Amino acid sequence: MQRILLAIVVCFMTSQIVTINCYSVDPDEFLQNPKKELRARNISKNVRCLVCQNQSIDESSAPLAKDLRILIRKKIKQGNSDEEIYNFLTERYGDFILLNPLFKISTLFLWILPFVFLAIGIFVIFLHNNKSKKLNYSK
Amino acid sequence: MKKGILISPIILFFLILFVFFYLLIIDRNPSELPSMLINKKVPAFEAKLLLENKTFISPSEFENETTLVNFFATWCKPCLDEHPYLKKLSNERGLKIIGINYKDDSKRAIKWLEKLGNPYSNVLVDPNARLGIDWGVYGLPETFIVNSNGVIKYRLVGPITKRNYDAFVLKVKEVEK
Repeated sequence: MQRILLAIVVCFMTSQIVTINCYSVDPDEFLQNPKKELRARNISKNVRCLVCQNQSIDESSAPLAKDLRILIRKKIKQGNSDEEIYNFLTERYGDFILLNPLFKISTLFLWILPFVFLAIGIFVIFLHNNKSKKLNYSK
Repeated sequence: MKKGILISPIILFFLILFVFFYLLIIDRNPSELPSMLINKKVPAFEAKLLLENKTFISPSEFENETTLVNFFATWCKPCLDEHPYLKKLSNERGLKIIGINYKDDSKRAIKWLEKLGNPYSNVLVDPNARLGIDWGVYGLPETFIVNSNGVIKYRLVGPITKRNYDAFVLKVKEVEK
């Protein structure tokens, strides 16, 4: 009985993985060269769709996302590097188009603040711990 | 002193809460993006014209006077709402408006302009959104104000309507100065 249950759970979980990995890329957009296609997919996954702003253009079915996917593939065919393609996009749409924010002065707080908060948290716990220890000794 | 340290996370928490709440209630559209092209030269491109059998060459066409660049399409409903205000800008203020017909059917666009009137000095066709991408367009309609040196000074995402017409004219005046 348990085995059947386990099998059902595994089936369910794998089916979830399959449905999560559905993409909006049309077959007619694919590049012939699989290596280049993979590069295009990797770039697309890191580029924000500006119409539905929390999706990548790889997942979005908005017309602009499709246009950008085609453009990225065209640029790869023309021999542009990944960096050149990202630069091309950020020059037109800003850093916001990258799903992974860049590490620069204007985003410094974004990257460092979690660690600052972590340090504060550890400090507070440490302080509290010391205090309770002292209380225990005095008892 | 120790109490101060212990209470600081709570103060910080309320401070953050206040900031979030403030951003929530002010009149702003969080999905609206600032244009990367502000204070930059208009992109260089060549495009075919919709109504004549000619090629439009940028940036040489942008020098001499303040120009509006308006991305529109017949499939875009807000563009229809905006149309009378573009006519008003063209007729009353004598502004040069360049229309870019974005991902549209040319025949439909010609009919649309015949029916509603044509406020544009030139209408360019952009069948594959290549011009749109160069201008950083992500939602129609979008209107750019370009100064007499061919530098982009302002972008409006969304239509010019009764609500923002006066503010838009003010922006045009600022650029014209």
